[in-house]
Amino acid sequence: MATEEIALGQAQELRRGTVVLACLALLRKPQYGYALLETLNDAGVTVDGNTLYPLLRRLEKQGLLTSEWNTDESRPRKFYRVSPEGSRVRTSLVREWQDLVASISRLTKENG
Amino acid sequence: MSTNTLTERYVHEVVRRLPADQRDDIADELRTTIADTIEARDPARPEAVEREVLSEMGDPIRHAARYADRPLALIGPDLYPTYIRLLAFLLTTVLPVITAVFVLLEIVDGNGLGAAVGAGVETVFTVGAQMVTVLTVLFAVAERAGHRKGTLIRTTDWTPDDLPETREPQKVGVGAVLTAVWYALLLGLTVWQQLSEPYRTNGGERIAVLDPDLWSGWIWPILIGLAGLVVLALVRVITHGWTSRLAVLHAIAQAVFVLPLAWILQQRQIFNPDFLADVTDNTTPEVYTGAALIVLVASLIAVVNGFRAAKK
Repeated sequence: MATEEIALGQAQELRRGTVVLACLALLRKPQYGYALLETLNDAGVTVDGNTLYPLLRRLEKQGLLTSEWNTDESRPRKFYRVSPEGSRVRTSLVREWQDLVASISRLTKENG
Repeated sequence: MSTNTLTERYVHEVVRRLPADQRDDIADELRTTIADTIEARDPARPEAVEREVLSEMGDPIRHAARYADRPLALIGPDLYPTYIRLLAFLLTTVLPVITAVFVLLEIVDGNGLGAAVGAGVETVFTVGAQMVTVLTVLFAVAERAGHRKGTLIRTTDWTPDDLPETREPQKVGVGAVLTAVWYALLLGLTVWQQLSEPYRTNGGERIAVLDPDLWSGWIWPILIGLAGLVVLALVRVITHGWTSRLAVLHAIAQAVFVLPLAWILQQRQIFNPDFLADVTDNTTPEVYTGAALIVLVASLIAVVNGFRAAKK
C-alpha cells in the first residue's frame, strides 16, 4: 500500500513537466480550456483542471500562448493557441524529451 | 452565462483575491469552465453536479493562489535559511545580553533580587516575543514583495565559509564555568558593596569601599563589560568551547570592562576617599599604576587565549 502510494507520487512528479509539452503540441489548433482537458485526458496525459487552467494562463503570461474570446456560441469561451515563441519552445522541449527517453531507456536496459 | 448562485459565489470568492485587471477575464473563464464541466458530466441534475464540481475545485483561497502564482507559505524556501539563522542569532545571542542588562539595571537600582528575577523573566518573554514577531512579519512582507515583482529576492549566497565551526568537545567547560563564576563574583561584589555599604569606620559609619562617585561615571562600562563576560563564559559552557565569533565578542567585552578599570586605577579614583582615610592608606602611586598594568596584561592574555582556542 505504502509502496503504491510512493510510486503514484513519483509518477506524478514525472508527468508534471510533460503537461506543458502536451499543451504546446495540442494548441497548434486553437482550443478552449475544458475541451483541451478532455483531449489531454483522452490522449493519456492525465491532468486536473485545477492544474491545467492556471497553467494555460501562466503560459500565456510567458508569451508561449495567445488567447482570444470566441462569443459566437451561446457560451463565450477563451481559446488558446501557440505563439511563434511557443513553437520554438516546443521544438526544443521535444528534442529534450527525445534525449531523455533515449537516455533513460539506455540506462534501464543496462541496469535492468 | 450561468446565473447559478453557488458558481457565482465561488467565482467571486476566487477573483476578489486576484489583481483587479485580471478579475473579469478569469471570472468569465471560470464560469464557462464550470458550466462546461457540469454539462459534460450529467446535464440531468445540474445542481448536485455543480456542488460536486465546486468541491473538486477546492478552497477558493488555494484556487486563487494558483492563478496569482502567490506563495501559500508565510516564508518560502528562498528566504527561510536566512530567516532561521537570524532568528537563532537574535534569540541565543542578542536576547541574553539585553536580559542581562535589564537584570543588572534592576539590581543597581537597589530593587532587590525578586525584582531582578522578575525583570529577567519579563524581558525574556516580551523582548523574545517581539523579536520573533517583528522578524517574521518582515520576512513575510519581503516574501510577498519579491513575488509581486516577479523576481525572487536573492538572499546572500551561501558559501562554505558560512559553515559553523565544529566544536571539538574541549575538556568539559570547567574553565568556562570558573570564568563565569569569577566575573559574576566581581560584578556581584561591586554592586553589593555599594548597596549595603559593608565597611564600618572607626566612627561607626557605614561606607562603600569603592568611590561612590564612580556610579555617576566609569562604573557603568565596567559593569556592562563584566556582565558581557559572564554571559559569554556561560555561552561557552553551553556550546562547549570557543568560536571566532565568541572570541571577538569576548575581546569587546574585555575592552569595555578593563580599559575604564585601568584608567580609574591609574587615576587613583577607585576607592572611596573616606575608606582610604580610615585605613590610613600609604600605598604609593606606583602601586596603582602597577595594578592598572596587571589588569591590562591579564585581560590581553585572556583575549589572545580566546582567539587561539577559537582557531583550533
